[in-house]
Amino acid sequence: MSLMTKARLKSLWVLHYDCGSCNGCDIEILAALTPKFDVERFGIVNIGDPKQADVLLVTGPANNRNQRVLRNLYDQMPKPKMVIAVGTCACTGGVFHNCPNVLGGIDKVIPVDVYVPGCAARPEQIIDGVVLALEKLAGKAPEGEE
Amino acid sequence: MIDYMAPILYVLAAPLIGGLIAGLDRKITARMQGRVGPPLVQPFFDVIKLWGKEPFISSRMQPILATGYLVFVLTGLTLLALRADLLHILFTLTLADVCLIVSAYNSESPYSNLGGRRELLAMLSYEPIMVLTAMSIQIVTGSFLVSGIFSYGTPLLLVMPAAFVAQILVLIIDMKKSPYDVSGSGHAHQELVRGVYTEFSGYTMALVELGHWTKTVFILSLISLFWAHNLLFGAALALSLWFAAILADNVYPRLNWKSMLRTTWLTGFTLILANFVVLIVLEVI
Amino acid sequence: MNTETLIAVNIGLPIVSALAAFLFNHRRAREGIVSVTALTLIASSLLLFLNGGMELSLGHSFEVIVVVLDFVLLLYFLYQGFKALSWQVIVLSLGQLAPAAYFEFVLETPPVEAILVIDRLSILMTLIINVIGSIVLVYALGYMEEHESHQGGESRQNLFFFYLVLLLGAMNGLVYSNSLYWLYFFWEVTTLCCYELIRYEGTEEAIENGLRALWMGLVGGVAMIAAMYVANYGYGTIAIDELLAAIPSRYLYLTFALMAIAAFTKSAQLPFQSWLIGAMVAPTPVSALLHSSTMVNAGVYLVLRVAPAIQGTYLTYGIAFIGIFSFMVTAIIALSQKLSKKILAYSTIGNLGLIIFCAAMNTPLSYSAATILLLFHSMSKGLLFMCAGVIENRLHTRQIEDWKGLISRLPVTATITMVGMVSMFLPLFGVLLGKWAAIGITATAPLFLSIVMIAMMVIGSSATTLFWAKWLGHFAITPMSGAEPAEENLSATYKLSLYSMLGLDIAASLGSGLVLNRVVAPIVALNYGKVWDTGILVLSSQVGAFMILPLWVALAAVFIVGGLILRSKGGVVKPPYMSGENVEGDPEAFRSTADSVVKYQIAGMFFDPEITEARWVPYSTLAGVFLNMILLALVIL
Repeated sequence: MSLMTKARLKSLWVLHYDCGSCNGCDIEILAALTPKFDVERFGIVNIGDPKQADVLLVTGPANNRNQRVLRNLYDQMPKPKMVIAVGTCACTGGVFHNCPNVLGGIDKVIPVDVYVPGCAARPEQIIDGVVLALEKLAGKAPEGEE
Repeated sequence: MIDYMAPILYVLAAPLIGGLIAGLDRKITARMQGRVGPPLVQPFFDVIKLWGKEPFISSRMQPILATGYLVFVLTGLTLLALRADLLHILFTLTLADVCLIVSAYNSESPYSNLGGRRELLAMLSYEPIMVLTAMSIQIVTGSFLVSGIFSYGTPLLLVMPAAFVAQILVLIIDMKKSPYDVSGSGHAHQELVRGVYTEFSGYTMALVELGHWTKTVFILSLISLFWAHNLLFGAALALSLWFAAILADNVYPRLNWKSMLRTTWLTGFTLILANFVVLIVLEVI
Repeated sequence: MNTETLIAVNIGLPIVSALAAFLFNHRRAREGIVSVTALTLIASSLLLFLNGGMELSLGHSFEVIVVVLDFVLLLYFLYQGFKALSWQVIVLSLGQLAPAAYFEFVLETPPVEAILVIDRLSILMTLIINVIGSIVLVYALGYMEEHESHQGGESRQNLFFFYLVLLLGAMNGLVYSNSLYWLYFFWEVTTLCCYELIRYEGTEEAIENGLRALWMGLVGGVAMIAAMYVANYGYGTIAIDELLAAIPSRYLYLTFALMAIAAFTKSAQLPFQSWLIGAMVAPTPVSALLHSSTMVNAGVYLVLRVAPAIQGTYLTYGIAFIGIFSFMVTAIIALSQKLSKKILAYSTIGNLGLIIFCAAMNTPLSYSAATILLLFHSMSKGLLFMCAGVIENRLHTRQIEDWKGLISRLPVTATITMVGMVSMFLPLFGVLLGKWAAIGITATAPLFLSIVMIAMMVIGSSATTLFWAKWLGHFAITPMSGAEPAEENLSATYKLSLYSMLGLDIAASLGSGLVLNRVVAPIVALNYGKVWDTGILVLSSQVGAFMILPLWVALAAVFIVGGLILRSKGGVVKPPYMSGENVEGDPEAFRSTADSVVKYQIAGMFFDPEITEARWVPYSTLAGVFLNMILLALVIL
């Protein structure tokens, strides 16, 4: 494994975006950052700036208003990047998938790499999702180029 | 005749030392918060990863300015290692800071602009303390030369304790720790998104990170000069202040820039001037 | 070429050229006259530098001419005072006419043998006056053409250039004069040029500010005449070299104190700073020439001339205090200013205060710091004013908030301006060398006074860094919107003047070792001895070592390494982060409620309302008056 790939696996900077979630999944993501679960030990930091982020953690369903923002944030992230849809609403639209303004899950707007279902998705599942994303990253980009 | 090998090795090792210190910082912070924390070499993974990102820039000036920041900080550190004139070295660091700030203004971003402005205010807060420290050295040893500190009989800590204590403020502001992380914050915090660093991305961010580490190493090196006769003890002093800064970060909330200006000027600035008065009265100078 | 001819050229040629420019009011004639004058003056100053100094006695007829012209001048001032109903001007003109008449015609004063004394200090002043002055003259050609084409109407440029060129001759005469009377005469001629040039536009604001400059200048004149009286009474001579060598007494110090006060009026130190701020209404070449790089140097020159004779006295520290106090106060006020020329004006006063501080602190290093600052500040500030004029002519505004994105609208001018700004406060250039030395000598004052001075120095220099850096940052904002670049269109005169001033500044900074050895050291050696040890890499003195060339090497490394990185990694230019609400095609806007497009607005940082002119100027002026009174009290009591 090249040094670059190893670095990418060991240092994952997260941008978290709430697409219209009830905040349940957001709280669980926050919990993952707290001392009990401590994802920082894996090098995961909630960086908040798409230009410096590797992973886009999205909660909530995509709708007509936020699809533009979602796409904008995704475009502002430099490659290599991953998208993780957290929670049922982000995966498929959840209970809201039939609502008039809701487009469905976020994969209607941007490509998604990992789906973490649950309502709300539990921190352990979120961490599992991130590990899956890392494996995908390792497999996807063996030489560190995309 | 100064030995050139040791200073050159020191400067080349500085980014490495800086990265390790940054890693130790995160580890200690994590332990203070009851967490495990990332591995010690985490900052190196961060920088390598950043270097490999798809390059986004805000203008063609930005990479040059980011390089300027790193190069001028390295220049300052080299001059310090060569025991040159401290005031001149501080001005070189100002040059580095201005490169960073101009780069922050350069992108037409509101967050970056405000971050740049707050970085200027941060500079306004810690620079006077550093200049006064240099002036104390001049008053006590007779010149600004760092070599003069080594040849002076008494450790500076005993002569200018106020300047030593004021360095904690410098460290807090430089390391972007609460309560004075107004222009951008350490990794786990956000202020104005990423404040002065908002528009940096990929390799430009990597350059700035390296520059920041080197700057921290510079300030710690400067603080160790307060016990120049035994640099190991001096380094221990510097690291104890560094530890106090990390402690402050975990205890204090973020305060605003006015409070930062007020504390550094009313406390740091006046304390050092009071130290001068005491020295005059005691007829040390 | 012998020195007498050069002196005649330096004083006489500007007078002749000024008259020629006045008589021939055509553009081509003017360009010819100015070019010939400029080239000749530059050559003359360089030859004078190579020749060295001398003493000159002039015939009695010259003295008569000077006296006659002086009275004509004073009567003209009086007339102007009546015309404008300005009681200050009337009182101060009478306050000079009567005593001057009494002095010249009634009192028995022995004639001054060596009327003109040219030494290394005068030669440096001539270099600054002739070289920098000539560059600004060339600049003025292009500027006034543009300026008048905006205004329309008949061309009055002949009058403008008459006074502008005349100033150079008057300044040269001033720095050669060894007789207090001649110095005073040339001093008043510079006041005349200043007055006429400030009120040139003829607007109400211009006339009002012109009158203020006039009466404050006349205060200086009164002080000079008073100095003449005291010197004559105490020592029976008004020859400066004799006074400088005289046995000290209260009269001597009073003479020098009065000369110092005259210097404060000319260099706009507290409390006389308001005329310089108001003088910004004049066309920019006036600001570039008179109010930054040449005329205001007359006051500083006087302090430099007098300083060696007052070493170690209370007087010298009093003068130093006023200098550094002005530096601190103007640096703070400059933080709140939004007009380009006002920021430059406050910065000028501050730097002049710093030079006076250094000269009056009276140590060998401080004296050389003063000389270094004088030289480099003139170049940098002249350059900045010229750039500000070019920008203003194109953008039609002086508000620095509107000067956004200049790096793409006026690329060449903006780059030169940014380099000029860097040269004022960052290492690589000579101004910072001077400031470094100034900080080094601050602690040499008597014990507790040094604490106050240290505080003021640190406050002043921090504020200075802040206002330059924030303006520099604002200049660097690179607009990503497809804004049409404003027509830059730099004329030949602009290019010539801007590039040559920039080139001069860079060359002098790179070669500061040479400048220190060949220009500064001989001046300092006259009264103080050797100060600097200059090698290629390091300029060292007793307080430390400054390195300019190594930093330029670092700068080269920045461009090389940065360029290589940029070339290899490249990068797509991306719009800024706007929380995901970017608007396509408009990097300054974001989408707000109901998807409306809103431009974001950021005002600059001006520390309103803590620092406003309305709050700070009255108290500072009062403090200035108080300090000057203390100065006089120090010598009288």
